[in-house]
Amino acid sequence: MTYEDWFRKDRLPHIYCAGCGNGTIINCTLAAIDQMNWNKDETVFISGIGCSSRAPGYIVTDSLHTTHGRALAFATGVKLANPKLNVVIFTGDGDLAAIGGNHFIHACRRNIDITVICMNNQIYGMTGGQGSPTTPKGCFSTTTPYGSAESPFDLCELAIAAGANYVARWTSYHVKELEKAVKVGLETPGFSFIEAMTQCPTNFGRRNKFKEVLDQVEALKTHALLKAKRDRMIEQGENIPDDFFIIGELIRRNRPAMGVKT
Amino acid sequence: MKLVIDETRCKGCNLCTKICPYKIFKEGKKPNLRGIVVPELDRPERCANCRLQRLYGRTLCGVCQLTCPDQAIHWEEEQPYEPKKVAIEY
Repeated sequence: MTYEDWFRKDRLPHIYCAGCGNGTIINCTLAAIDQMNWNKDETVFISGIGCSSRAPGYIVTDSLHTTHGRALAFATGVKLANPKLNVVIFTGDGDLAAIGGNHFIHACRRNIDITVICMNNQIYGMTGGQGSPTTPKGCFSTTTPYGSAESPFDLCELAIAAGANYVARWTSYHVKELEKAVKVGLETPGFSFIEAMTQCPTNFGRRNKFKEVLDQVEALKTHALLKAKRDRMIEQGENIPDDFFIIGELIRRNRPAMGVKT
Repeated sequence: MKLVIDETRCKGCNLCTKICPYKIFKEGKKPNLRGIVVPELDRPERCANCRLQRLYGRTLCGVCQLTCPDQAIHWEEEQPYEPKKVAIEY
């Protein structure tokens, strides 16, 4: 059995733009889920609104496509009503950080036994390229035509501070590492949060000097900094540039979790 | 096993040309019936997964399959007596 069996073959090819990284992250997630030997009837995928949230529609299991930003609220309900179910959430940065920000920190605080995969493309892709809370400083979008003046959200730091049990960040270039991180997240009891940085060639890349898909993937690859290397750089007193982001397993701990299968 | 690109799913983003460690995929030249320039395979017999998947009993590299955002790349069983090329790299 391979992860291809989890796709709804009649719905493919999906509607994502050519070069969109969301398909890659669905692949990695399903490859990790396939290794868990889960029953398809006992797995639920939940999503909100946005490009990333179309993902459960292409997967054979039961799924909920909910209101904007409320995927975590619905997932809390599903998990507490029936703790036997394995709940996985696909969500985007606008969905999780902007509209569902409060649900996110409270889900981390309650430490519910769910896995959240956040496809962070740093922009509102589906609605036409508005700036989102994670748009980096100085990047262009339709609502920030002179470059974003605000500091972006660091979702992983937020999840760590709010009390998630497992937090990791990878990009759509690091497929194998992302697959392993998702698997560890699924195995960890309690709230696991995996942030996957993706490329958005249509709305982010077009406005930010990434003419080709490959340019943006190259930028993701070169601007990623491993956590171990970051710690080493801080030790040696080196300066970390502002546009770099940290990748790797950021935290793993054992806070008491809610709704764990007994 | 052989490497196959599903032309009904490929959208021509050329991510595979960057990702493959053996540089097996290269950019295509002619658009197909749907107007999409599907990448071409450059000596696919060099693919480690094609040759050794059966021997090891697991997927060896598989980065192209995981990376392809459109689920277009997969491996297929060869037909019996299909002509096969053996690549020797010096």
